[in-house]
Amino acid sequence: MNTAPIDGWEGAEVYYTFADKPAVIGLLILVGVALCVYTIYRMAKHETHAAKRHG
Amino acid sequence: MNETTPDIEAKIAALEAALGTVNTMNSEIFYWWCTALMLAIHAGFLAYEMGASRSKNALASGIKNLLAFAFIVPTFYYVGWWIYLAFPAGLTVSEASSAGLPWSANMGPNLTDQASGIFYAAFTLFAATTASIMSGSVIERIRMSGFTILAVCLGSVVWILGASWGWHPSGWLTTTWGLHDVGAAGCVHTVAGFFTLGVLINLGPRMGRYNADGSLNEIPGHNMPMSLIGLMLIVMGFFGFLGGCIIYTADGWLTIYNTPVTLSAFAFNTLMGVAGGMIGAYLMTRDPFWMMSGALVGVISSAPALDVYYPGLAFLISFLGGMIAPKVNDYLVVKLKIDDAVGAVAVHGVTGVYGLIMAGIFASGYANIEGPEINLMGQIMSAAVFVVLGFVPGFGLSYLLKMFGLLRVGQGVELAGLDRVEIPAKAYPEAAVPAFDLSPVSPAE
Repeated sequence: MNTAPIDGWEGAEVYYTFADKPAVIGLLILVGVALCVYTIYRMAKHETHAAKRHG
Repeated sequence: MNETTPDIEAKIAALEAALGTVNTMNSEIFYWWCTALMLAIHAGFLAYEMGASRSKNALASGIKNLLAFAFIVPTFYYVGWWIYLAFPAGLTVSEASSAGLPWSANMGPNLTDQASGIFYAAFTLFAATTASIMSGSVIERIRMSGFTILAVCLGSVVWILGASWGWHPSGWLTTTWGLHDVGAAGCVHTVAGFFTLGVLINLGPRMGRYNADGSLNEIPGHNMPMSLIGLMLIVMGFFGFLGGCIIYTADGWLTIYNTPVTLSAFAFNTLMGVAGGMIGAYLMTRDPFWMMSGALVGVISSAPALDVYYPGLAFLISFLGGMIAPKVNDYLVVKLKIDDAVGAVAVHGVTGVYGLIMAGIFASGYANIEGPEINLMGQIMSAAVFVVLGFVPGFGLSYLLKMFGLLRVGQGVELAGLDRVEIPAKAYPEAAVPAFDLSPVSPAE
């Protein structure tokens, strides 16, 4: 998989992975946000489950 | 030596280019280490809050701090930095804000931008500090999930909107009213303190904190020495925090408002502020917990005008702040029945307002680069904005969480302790090992 947006270092500016593929960048951001939200959801489920188990 | 004019010009150009590179790298290095030093604030809050909890809640309190930090790093990347760049004019979006969008060329490795990443990092640590201010007040009864939502809202949205308004060279509080708050007492401490007050009203006191007749029971933490070390770490980290409040340029240091300053000015007044607050709080309480909280009060009291105060004046302002904060906390806890477990509303919220007003009185007349000179009314009105900006979302969001049952743990969990019910680890496992049972036994046994 070629993730580099540059061919060489001469005159390079933005060089982070997928910088030339906005759709991939957008997807990475969405997945990151979704994982944060999902973790909070799982956190709440764990709390509720632990409280029920405790009685 | 027969150098021609073009040779000399070429050498000068090369030297200027090299100097420019060194300056840029120095700037990066400076904020890198400020950011690293600010991590001590989080180590401090971690120790401070775990120590202030009863042993049955020690780990839950610590996990809460770790979660706040971990969630704020990505969420501040996704929205926080953009908010700072977007809203200096109020609620209209600035054109410059596109550089803060998470998909912009500036928000990742870029050989032509050596500033965005390092400023994002420093501001992220400010954000995590802001959320940590709330976390100590709500220990021993808040739900982890509810707390994380509140921390993200405070750290990645609310305070940074306040920073854009009042801690930015073109923030409208400065350009319109002349606000001066170089050490971020308003956008960080006042906003976080009053956000916390809004949350505490909905969260309610810990079980057993108040008797039926309204009288108060003390709930001491399980490890005061740990809390004291934590508070000292926070004070240490504030040198990174306040260093990060200064702009490094090729021509010297500037405040966030682009007025000239020196690190020496900050050094004088930060140290005098810390000492003033500690002694003032000691005089009022004799309590080591309040002495070290007084050190924070001292920093915050002098923070708005660290750049211009005479150090002897900063000492007195912070001394008075250190005397006032414990009394404000007593009023909140005893009279208003707000169970603030660590006094954050008084230490951060009320002291932030106090510091802003003191700057209006004692730094009045100093010129701003943009907007009117520093003045008392501008400081008071700006403080009111920070109070409202903190309180309204804190109260509103915690009210919603309460409606959905996401704010507070159940009574059974609170009685048993959050560690026992929710955490798959033990803070002090030796306490349950018979060999460590030091209760007296008779020889016959």
